[in-house]
Amino acid sequence: MPIGNAEPSVRPVPPGRADGAAAGSAGSRRGGGSRSVRGGSRAERFAPYVLVAPAILIIVVLRLYPLLLGVNFSFTGDGERNGQTVGFDNYLELIEDPLFRTALGNVGLLVLLLPVAVAIPGLLATFIYLRVPGHRFYRSVYFFPAVLSPVIVGAIFNLLLAFDGPVNVLFEAAGISPVDWLGNPDVAMFVVVGVHIWATFGMALVVFLAGFATLDAALLDAARVDGASLAQVIRHVIIPGLSRTIAFVAVTTMVGMLTSMFGLLYVMTSGGPEGSTYLPEYYIWIQQGQMNRPALASAASTVLFVIMLVVGLLQVKLLRRAGGED
Amino acid sequence: MSRVRLSRWLLAIPMSLLALATIYPLLFTVNVAMKTRRDYILDRFSLTDTLRWDNISAAWNSVGMDRYFVNSLIVVTSSVLLLLLLGSMAGFALSQLRFRGSSALFLGCLAGLFVPFQVIMVPLARIMADTALIDTYPGLILVFVAQFLPFTVFLMTSYYKTIPREIIDAARIDGNSVYGVYRRIMLPLGTPALLSVGILNALFCWNDVLMSLVMMPSADHRTLMVGVTSLRGQYSDDIPTFASGVLIAAIPVLVVYLFLQRQIADGVAAGSTKG
Repeated sequence: MPIGNAEPSVRPVPPGRADGAAAGSAGSRRGGGSRSVRGGSRAERFAPYVLVAPAILIIVVLRLYPLLLGVNFSFTGDGERNGQTVGFDNYLELIEDPLFRTALGNVGLLVLLLPVAVAIPGLLATFIYLRVPGHRFYRSVYFFPAVLSPVIVGAIFNLLLAFDGPVNVLFEAAGISPVDWLGNPDVAMFVVVGVHIWATFGMALVVFLAGFATLDAALLDAARVDGASLAQVIRHVIIPGLSRTIAFVAVTTMVGMLTSMFGLLYVMTSGGPEGSTYLPEYYIWIQQGQMNRPALASAASTVLFVIMLVVGLLQVKLLRRAGGED
Repeated sequence: MSRVRLSRWLLAIPMSLLALATIYPLLFTVNVAMKTRRDYILDRFSLTDTLRWDNISAAWNSVGMDRYFVNSLIVVTSSVLLLLLLGSMAGFALSQLRFRGSSALFLGCLAGLFVPFQVIMVPLARIMADTALIDTYPGLILVFVAQFLPFTVFLMTSYYKTIPREIIDAARIDGNSVYGVYRRIMLPLGTPALLSVGILNALFCWNDVLMSLVMMPSADHRTLMVGVTSLRGQYSDDIPTFASGVLIAAIPVLVVYLFLQRQIADGVAAGSTKG
């Protein structure tokens, strides 16, 4: 849209609009001479950049630049060696730190549990899509914990899973010996991941339902007319039709498990018992905030970033291949 | 046919149980918040016989939840308004205006999506400390805006793409400058998307704990969620007051969810399908 054709000054300005409250809108037309139109057009040419600049500036300065800064920082020392280049020392220290190893091991556990975390909302969305009685009600109830802060969810489950808490009271009443849900190193991580899945499956459910909306209903009807069972419909119609959605949910769920469990860990276990519930993000926070080892924390950040890149690329690739076969 | 219908009803049983498991923890917490300490120790599950607000007001006054609440309100409101302003400006330019470098700038915005806060926590805290923004409202607001802006720009861009260019051309012929088009056309037309994105961002900011913890270290500046984490140590032997504090922090979100559930779900769905 060339500006010259607009000739804004041609339109008569109603009396009283030219000043006062309308000054802002009239600003570009004031004067009306050809000089001001050309001046306006230069301003107009820069307008897109003016509109984008604040957002770009913030993202570059406070997101992308810190990433480089952090990688750079991870090759320097802490404490006495502050500012000195230390090569890969921080990374070597990470590998030898049992807490960081536990954190990586727990990332492995999250990867193993990922199919469960994707399948649960996927199945539930399928049932809701197939109009189980009361599907609207289920949809809004399931989504509800997803809007609660991990801190609140963690606090509520602290209450429920305390050693003398209601869950163990029920266990005792049923004759089962009480479980130290958050105090037993073999159990605690599973409990925290379970609570995380409880709190977030509604989010993935909504994404799945949005995917179902794009599914060809005729295909489903055809399958049903041919007498396909539910399992067959899922296997041959829904999974191939939703491969993009499944890939998206898998990636976002994995990213969610890697980056939004801090609140739960902080409130429920503080990384314990015996460091068994450490995840990289918690390790980073401890090293940066509590141990005053920012360079070591930066190294852990870089490792986390690489993990996230690898996980993302790998999953997209795998699912693309799976989708391609059908 | 009847077999199909029967199997659907059978599915409703596990789904109802799951719905119960989803909602019960919160109902339990509400119930506990209304009980006396003695009642809770005697019986964890018994329904409270009275609606007593003592615990709530105790939690509100004694731990400073009132101050944390105000802190959260200030930071979240400013962040969301700023996000909507900057996100819609950039979204309008990137979707409707043709200019050199627009696709590179769009990719630059998107790149921000792939940098989680955990990864840049250390350098970001340092930048904030160097600019004396750490432990201030503007500092946390900037960090929130930087965190959620890529997503906001992305959603606003894809929403504004659906607006026909003829509308903008017509407005230009009527004598509007680019800024005039933004203010008089794009902002009003963008209302549904702005509402959805705004609510989502408000939830994200309100619920955050890690960014607030790192950027607002002093006790006076705690946000509500950080305040909740400090409740645990103080009220470990007074569960009803603890539950009340948790409830105070959850109530605004519950209210928002009850009234704006649709917009929240739409926002989440839009984020996934536009990708």
